[in-house]
Amino acid sequence: MLRFLLRRSLGAIVIVLLISAITFFLFFALPSEPALMSCGKNCTPDAIAVINKNLGLDQPVPVQYWHYMSGIVTGRDFTVGHCPAPCFGYSFSNQQPVWGTIVDRFPTTLSITLGGAAVFLTVGVGIGMLAAAFRGTWIDKFFSSLSLIGNALQIYFVGVIALAVFVSGLHWMDNPAYHPITENPVKWFTGMLIPWLVLSIIFIANYSRMTRSQMIEQLAEDHVRTARAKGLSRRTVFFRYAWRGAMAPIVTIFGIDLGSLFGGAIITEFTFSLHGLGRLAVSSVSETDLPTLMAVMLVGCTAIVVANIVVDAAYAFIDPRVRLA
Amino acid sequence: MTSATMFLRRRARLSAAALAAGALVLSACSSGGGGGGDGDKQSQGPGEDKTTSANYSIGTKADSAGPAPEVSGAKKGGTVGVLQRDAFNHLDPGQIYYSDVLTNQMLYNRTLTSYKVDDKGRVKVVGDLATDAGTASDGGKTWKFTLKDGLKFEDGSPITSKDVRWGIERLYAPFETDGPLYIPQWLSGDGNAFRKALPEGPYDGKHLPASVLDTPDDKTVIFHFAKPHADTPFATAMPNIGPVKAEKDTKQKYDNAPFSSGPYKVADYKVGKSLTLVRNEHWDPKTDPVRHQYPDKFEISFGHQFADSTRRFLADQGADKNAMSFSNAVAPEMTEKVLGQSDTKARRFVEIQPYVDYISFNMDRLGDVRVRKALALAMPNGQIVQQMGGATAGLLATNYLSPAMDGYRPTDPFGKKKSPAGDPEKAKQLLTEAGKVGQEIVYAYANTDVQQKVAVVVTQALERAGFKVQKKEVDSNTWRTAIAEVKNQFDIYRTSWGADWPVSSTVVPPLFDGRQIADGAQNYSHLNNSKIDAEIDRISAIPDVKQAAPEWQKLADRILTDEVAGVPVFYNRQFSLWGSNLGGVKYHPVYGTADPTGAFVK
Repeated sequence: MLRFLLRRSLGAIVIVLLISAITFFLFFALPSEPALMSCGKNCTPDAIAVINKNLGLDQPVPVQYWHYMSGIVTGRDFTVGHCPAPCFGYSFSNQQPVWGTIVDRFPTTLSITLGGAAVFLTVGVGIGMLAAAFRGTWIDKFFSSLSLIGNALQIYFVGVIALAVFVSGLHWMDNPAYHPITENPVKWFTGMLIPWLVLSIIFIANYSRMTRSQMIEQLAEDHVRTARAKGLSRRTVFFRYAWRGAMAPIVTIFGIDLGSLFGGAIITEFTFSLHGLGRLAVSSVSETDLPTLMAVMLVGCTAIVVANIVVDAAYAFIDPRVRLA
Repeated sequence: MTSATMFLRRRARLSAAALAAGALVLSACSSGGGGGGDGDKQSQGPGEDKTTSANYSIGTKADSAGPAPEVSGAKKGGTVGVLQRDAFNHLDPGQIYYSDVLTNQMLYNRTLTSYKVDDKGRVKVVGDLATDAGTASDGGKTWKFTLKDGLKFEDGSPITSKDVRWGIERLYAPFETDGPLYIPQWLSGDGNAFRKALPEGPYDGKHLPASVLDTPDDKTVIFHFAKPHADTPFATAMPNIGPVKAEKDTKQKYDNAPFSSGPYKVADYKVGKSLTLVRNEHWDPKTDPVRHQYPDKFEISFGHQFADSTRRFLADQGADKNAMSFSNAVAPEMTEKVLGQSDTKARRFVEIQPYVDYISFNMDRLGDVRVRKALALAMPNGQIVQQMGGATAGLLATNYLSPAMDGYRPTDPFGKKKSPAGDPEKAKQLLTEAGKVGQEIVYAYANTDVQQKVAVVVTQALERAGFKVQKKEVDSNTWRTAIAEVKNQFDIYRTSWGADWPVSSTVVPPLFDGRQIADGAQNYSHLNNSKIDAEIDRISAIPDVKQAAPEWQKLADRILTDEVAGVPVFYNRQFSLWGSNLGGVKYHPVYGTADPTGAFVK
């Protein structure tokens, strides 16, 4: 297990480094003048030169890359002062330390992701199992149709309707907003409820369909038939034999989805006026704000890689046939 | 003249119009007035439907004395929520130019002069920190301001003339690049040349000589300009002509933590996300003729699309009852719903902003004035307004100057009110006389949804009049640069303009002075007529802005009628809505936004 984790972690570091390098060099390969962002409207060539020097943009791109990446580990010194590790530099557009912004935005993304995932995983898998258990009945047809509809919907559509109906119309729920769970758990929950539910509608469809088909497949397997023949109860066969087998691919997909969501649920954030990493990613792209863009990308990329490692490790527990060594 | 910045100041408004791209909305602008029913009735913007705008004046010493007149029914306490779409780009008063941050800074920043807006939308330029709007001498080249007693920063320390000097001198520092630069340029030289007078600002211990900026005692600030500037009281109302305490000046970092001189101070600022302003206990209402301090707090949050803020104001529930927005407009797709919901009547306005949209004619390529006249006659202003979002987004324009400008007169040389869809017959007749029927017109526009729709109606109208239109879509990120190139290969293109203060000296010279033709400059039509230039000089030298105002209008009309450098299309409008539990929200005619300085929680 330890060897597995070590090997995968090293691989993950290489992947993250590769992606960071590609992002960094691509940024400079495209026509952009980051100093203009800091320079303002009444900008002069002299001012641009000063900014380029202050931001280190006058150095070769590989050197800049090295400074950026090493700064994450060791911290960096800028003209405005020392930036302690983990230093992702200062934003080109608002001159704020990027790490502070990431720390501020990440809890929102974390809340959206974990809460949404909890809902869509339990409800999605539950519906899928129900449909599989009652295959061919009206229950199966009903939930299958429902998931088809869910699959066809988009967050910006369902989100706006949910706001109009449940917040503005019926006043059942609060306007979506992020409140730190440490300050007010109730407000945190009520503020996140609509984003969770709307995000879930889209994902539930996938998970229920996937669970249903996996369950049906598993229920037709020889070992399940044997278990039934041995006289095990229907419940035991369903949960211990079929469900366990069905979970492996679902966990894989879940790992990828979770990782992507950690990178920022962009449309969800815009629909509900929330400030997470997704919105930060969009603004950093439009403002050619390389330090912020790199930071968001590194956080997202790391989340995806870590989620994949966790999923792979989880495999061993779910499926004893998988050996990690 | 930092004219390029005006474009930027307009950006928020333009985005609003861009959002209107898919606008269903509203009845046609058939009557020239916009035709938006209730929207029109609500519009009592400066100058609109009046023969002459008389809404601007220079206030007296008595007008400049605090406190500001009580707002009827006002109560103290509560928290006002502010829903904004775009995050503020600056808090440092030295860097502020956009209308949203201009509005915001009124809450924590005071300036030498300021705008006092009464219940009827009339504006007086009054002394804010100063006891009056300034005293001119030496033919308008020297301006003296005396500070009031009892002025304090948020730490209770007194505001002196040295703090005002510091606030102005720091504009010379290389990092101060985003704000308006009228005063530094008038003091020390045009363009960026002024920076040479104090290359590091006041930070290396150097100051401007007393012959330029004098502070002989703690109460007196004297400007010595190279030329007369009659509109100095307006220029000193810009947000960066105020006090900055040297010990609290953190240079670039000041942008996130400005030191307050106004009724509120920054309590918490999360860049790009939220800003909380709380009462500044050291602000003395007796010194302030403009601002109030009714709510305990302003909680400003960013990232609210127009649809989101409009939905919240319409639903009017919970904390949203106490919420407003400085610059978010009503979402175009929700306009009818807002107008149709009677409980919104007391909590909305539709007002004219000081921003005008034009179609400029490239006079280097369109040499024949008859062709330009035909273009002006054929232009379907009314239909363009519809594409931009209808009556609540814009009011059909008939001449170059906005009704929000002092001295505005509703002249209409091309009969736009009578023929909002254009007059193709008359245009064709002119083209025939010129022997130019079938002339090809290269029409450039940004490739945004809304401009593509506008292009369709413009093309149809021009082709009805006998032109052959060649449409040129330009990438929206580069089109401003493209049209501002003197040697551009286009005949006509959409341009826009917003005045920094309601005096047309901030409009006519940058747009029509032949000496200002340059790449990136705003004489988009390349009008180059020495007689016009001479007239610009003559009017600029008039020492009284009130006397100059009608002269600017006459000159603008002369340019429109005789030179036809372009055709005005529409005057921008701000359609605002807010929560039912707020009182005292009013329109700020100079900033074109909802003014929070008198707002209170009922």
